[in-house]
Amino acid sequence: MKSPSDVAFSALQRTALHTASLLVPSSERVGWSTEWFSELWHVRRSYADIAEKISLQSQGEITLFCLGAFTDALCVREIALKSGARHAHIHGSAARTLLWLSAILLLCLLIASLLPGVQAEKEAARFLINPNALIISEAADRSSKPSIPVGLYLNWKYTHQRFFQDLAFYHVTRETALSGSARISWKVARSSTNLFSLIGVPLKFAFDDKSGLPSVVLSHEAWMTSFAGDPSVTGKILRIGHANARIAGVAPAAAWRLPGAPDVWLLQADTQMAIDLPFRTPGYLIAQLSSRGQDAMQQSDNGISAHNLEDLLIDLSGTPINAPIEGPWNLYEFALFLALVALPAVSSVSLGETHMTSHRASIRESLSRFLFLACKFVLVAGIGLFASFDIAYCSTSSFSPAAECLQLVSCFAICLIGFRWALADQRHRCPVCLRRVTNPASVGLASRTFLGWNGTEMICMGGHTLLHVPALPTSWFSDQRWLYLDSSWQFLFADSGIG
Amino acid sequence: MAVEAKLSHTAAMILQAISAGYVYGFSIMETTGLPSGTVYPAMRRLERDDLIRSQWERQSIADAEQRPPRKYYKLTATGRSTLEASRKRYPLLERLMPTEEARSV
Repeated sequence: MKSPSDVAFSALQRTALHTASLLVPSSERVGWSTEWFSELWHVRRSYADIAEKISLQSQGEITLFCLGAFTDALCVREIALKSGARHAHIHGSAARTLLWLSAILLLCLLIASLLPGVQAEKEAARFLINPNALIISEAADRSSKPSIPVGLYLNWKYTHQRFFQDLAFYHVTRETALSGSARISWKVARSSTNLFSLIGVPLKFAFDDKSGLPSVVLSHEAWMTSFAGDPSVTGKILRIGHANARIAGVAPAAAWRLPGAPDVWLLQADTQMAIDLPFRTPGYLIAQLSSRGQDAMQQSDNGISAHNLEDLLIDLSGTPINAPIEGPWNLYEFALFLALVALPAVSSVSLGETHMTSHRASIRESLSRFLFLACKFVLVAGIGLFASFDIAYCSTSSFSPAAECLQLVSCFAICLIGFRWALADQRHRCPVCLRRVTNPASVGLASRTFLGWNGTEMICMGGHTLLHVPALPTSWFSDQRWLYLDSSWQFLFADSGIG
Repeated sequence: MAVEAKLSHTAAMILQAISAGYVYGFSIMETTGLPSGTVYPAMRRLERDDLIRSQWERQSIADAEQRPPRKYYKLTATGRSTLEASRKRYPLLERLMPTEEARSV
């Protein structure tokens, strides 16, 4: 039976080898590990006495033997890297380009996943606002000022209404709230309890409170700034004004922007609101229209009439709740469409497939060329999506129309520039091996254009093709042309077999 | 040859050890007295320079002896000629580890 120290040393030695193996390039790791573990077995065997026990001194020597694996692993790594560097002259291979684009895409995706503003915009676009819910205000005052007195709201709510199926009300004041020992100045909306259900927006991290305390709903912005986006904040008790209230949830990012831009909503029963607010305190009225109300609104350009507290007929107007119609995906699709439409205006879409010889590319070559171009377009489009998120939301942690605008513009710019690059890059790719042609050489003289062509010649380092790009397009040489090199050229290229 | 000119004493010792019949890493360590952190990297470089070649032992042999298979190293033709040149440069090399042929004489 092995002693505890033997087991511990054995584990330490094996761990050292496993750790060292991480330094070895993955392609050689298995072989390397097998050799070292085999050697370790033999080394331990050679140090073991007849009773198969290893002294502490020997264990130390074996451990030193294992530590040598780190030097070896670094050596193997260095050799592999140098071997890779030997192939670095495989200039601009297709795989390397795709790898770079993928790395950029992953980086943008990673940054986007960490930005709170991106999450807020996604969230903002997720909820469908009740389309029949309108903000009702007096027609004389179409501004976003509160115009409906709380008394009128209560009157309408508890009497039969032709146009309204349900009503919600809120009044915004600036108040100081106490959260633990912190004092926070918030715009508090004292609102009826049915506000969120009427609008059709579910609360995040909703807390079911049975204690009878009034409920507080935090706006996404208040949640992020005052509570650092802590999801466990719901259920905590705050003191707002002179009363305690329990946090019942967090409103999703402000896809729907209620006028008054409250930081928190203090949900109160109508009886409590009647006590807290003077009868003529103006506030915002949200109404769900009945079918009759919808007809009336359509017939009279979003206007209806109703009796006020003095039983006088007043004109009311209905404004849809300001919900953005465009979500991030709609914006992205639009920007992508615009970039594709604008592409022919900024770059020739020709891929320069003219050949100087009768050589015809095989189906496999044509397919791989097309797939490579398609991959570049897809990756550029992906980079456009996530990089535009990063640009738009790097400085803002919540949904905002300005960020949406920035997202649209940056996505369009990135996609357009990216697609232009993809086409330009494709024109300089050898049709056989998809490697970028290199070693540009100036040929001819511009002053002798009519005697011979002048332009630039580039060569594929795999020895497959020579690209002629005219400096001055003429009627007889307007586009770039590929010259396929025959086998007589092969001796010039050290890595001709690579392609 | 560039490799011959650059061969260090350590590398020459390892080549000599392999030539003398010490054909796996631990036996080379034992016979040269060099630590594992020197022997194994040196063998990687010698293999990279085509002076030695490695080969895994057959699994059946290892199974029969109830042990893991070992990786054996042997000199290539270039390695042998390089070792010959190194012996001229380091005359004591052969006395440290006589080759199998020398031992059998």
